[in-house]
Amino acid sequence: MTAGALPRSTVRPVGTRAHARRSPVVRPLVIFTLAVILAFFAVIYSRISLDRTAFELQRLEKEITVEQERHWDLRVDYARLQAPDLITQRAAALGLVYPENRYTIEISGMADTVGGPEDRWMDLRALFVEQS
Amino acid sequence: MARTTFRFVDLRLIAIGLVFVLAWAGIGYRLFQVQGADAAKLEQLGFDQRVRHETIEAKRGTIYDRDGLELAVTVYGKALIADPSLVEAPEEAAALLAPIVDADYVEMIQRLEGDGRFTYVARRLESDTVEQATAAIESAELVGFSFIDEPLRIYPAGSLAAPVIGLTRLDDGSGIEGIEAVMETELGGRPGKRVVERDQAGRAIPQAEFLLEPSVAGSDVVLTLDREIQYTAETSLQRGIERSNATGGSVIVMDVASGEILAMVSLPGFDASDRSTLDPATLRNRAITDVYEPGSTLKIVTVAAALEEGVVRPDTPFETPPEIEIGDETYTDHGNNAAVMTVSDIVAKSSNVGTIKIQRQLGNEAHYRYLDAFGLGRPASIDFAGESTGRLDHLSEWNNAAAGPSAAIGYGVGATPLQMAAVYATVANNGEWVEPHVVSEIIGADGERTITEPRRHQVISAETARTLRTMLRRVVEDGTGFRADLAEFLVGGKTGTSNKFIVETGKYSETETIAWFIGIAPIDDPEIVVVVVLDAPNGATDGGRYDMKFGGTSAAPIFAEIAESALHQLGVSPTHDGDD
Repeated sequence: MTAGALPRSTVRPVGTRAHARRSPVVRPLVIFTLAVILAFFAVIYSRISLDRTAFELQRLEKEITVEQERHWDLRVDYARLQAPDLITQRAAALGLVYPENRYTIEISGMADTVGGPEDRWMDLRALFVEQS
Repeated sequence: MARTTFRFVDLRLIAIGLVFVLAWAGIGYRLFQVQGADAAKLEQLGFDQRVRHETIEAKRGTIYDRDGLELAVTVYGKALIADPSLVEAPEEAAALLAPIVDADYVEMIQRLEGDGRFTYVARRLESDTVEQATAAIESAELVGFSFIDEPLRIYPAGSLAAPVIGLTRLDDGSGIEGIEAVMETELGGRPGKRVVERDQAGRAIPQAEFLLEPSVAGSDVVLTLDREIQYTAETSLQRGIERSNATGGSVIVMDVASGEILAMVSLPGFDASDRSTLDPATLRNRAITDVYEPGSTLKIVTVAAALEEGVVRPDTPFETPPEIEIGDETYTDHGNNAAVMTVSDIVAKSSNVGTIKIQRQLGNEAHYRYLDAFGLGRPASIDFAGESTGRLDHLSEWNNAAAGPSAAIGYGVGATPLQMAAVYATVANNGEWVEPHVVSEIIGADGERTITEPRRHQVISAETARTLRTMLRRVVEDGTGFRADLAEFLVGGKTGTSNKFIVETGKYSETETIAWFIGIAPIDDPEIVVVVVLDAPNGATDGGRYDMKFGGTSAAPIFAEIAESALHQLGVSPTHDGDD
């Protein structure tokens, strides 16, 4: 009997790890499984991040509200301090009195201090622009 | 043949098996119910418990004075609430909290002892009060108290211009008086809507909030009022009321060219920040709601009409006997007037007889036409809630022979101080009537500005107006209004005194009067008109020589104080050195 080329076996050995790693069918499966696991963790991570961001946004909104409250409280304090009644009381407490005689000094170029609505509103409009 | 026997152990196993089977069957049935049969209903129930449709409050607009300082502003306030079922010692809690939140101790106890699970302990608290109350609650370890947000309307200037600004309701914050009521649509804004998911503690769940419709903040309203002039007017009028023992009064300071109201005072007034002292009688703005017979101050219209129609000239002489009889009425003059007076003298000395004679030459038809053109008998402005129309009977109703003559001297005609301010501003503004207004502009939430454009119309010529101003100067120079004179500025004006009409009796009072002074300052280059009205002044001045019930004695000095201060505030240069 002459030794000839052995026919290629159709039976593949199983159970060896090295062979399994090389298997063209298993590799995509492993990669797919890993991808799914990674995607799963990515979704979880993004969801957690989103929640954290939402809480952070909520905290910032609360902070904005607090600062707005402070802003308006300060504006009210400012307006109260400018109330003529309060100024008169404080002035009287400091011993200030209305003068017996009043003298008017006219400075050239400053006589007409009464501006139009546009002039009067320069400051307030600037404030509105800042707020907007 | 083998015989099958059941042992006790087997029976127990079977029983346990059956129990398990039944239990699993029950769980399965319940699972089917929850996840299948009732799934939709339960899902909706959970959704309803978690999800709430909420209204987003719109921030109310701010009211500013002409210089941009806040007169009314909404801040984020808080209300202290309690669950009476959890409050253990109402007396102790009330003793601790009532002084801090400025509430009544007994009323607070009643609230805390009440039934139910919710009560307001104190509302509209400012941040510093909230801090104090929070510290007190924590230190005393009080249970059942908490705070909720609510808008708080604050009036930083206190009672300043309160009858003009008005006030808002405590519950829904809507305006009920003054500008707060008139401009409710603009100031109120539009509330929004949102859907929000909340947990068991009522906290909003992040990422579960959906805005359906954003709220639109209310517009800001800018008034023409000048805070300093307003304060001067209020303090001067208050002093004048105290001097003359009047029951009340009003003042208007108006810019003659623009029609802007720089100050409007009604006393007694109120402080919208202190609701505990609110008296409904003081809520009304007398300057626009109260109708008075203007007396001699209305003579200017009679003379203006006669001059404009060419019926008389300033130097036209009239015989002026002490009294004149028309129909059933007899009209007299106060004091000793000359037998013959010119038109200019008649105005300066405020002669009733002379004015009636001018009116008779003018005729009722022309007289009525000018009364109407000067704005009497209809509201002067659109800026005020409840502004009275005054009273001016139509010409067709002047059937009585005395109707025209009475109107000539300011009787039978009713006018508000605002209407009379517009009349004198017309004379000061070269004959052009300008609508008085207190709203300067409205600034929308988007920044869009709507500036008030007042109505205007020419009533008399500039020449006639100048002639009238000369006559009004004489009233102050050597007439009934000498107490209105100023050292640094030339001013003119007209006094007026009318017997007070008592509504209850339907008759004129024998003792009580309405005292007027309406002046223009400076008279040579008019900037402002000041109207002063005192209700029922009495007593005497200058050591009993002068009766305070007359406009010249009680109202004119108030005008002088206000006009001088206002002109300085407006930066008007003195036109007079005060030596002559």
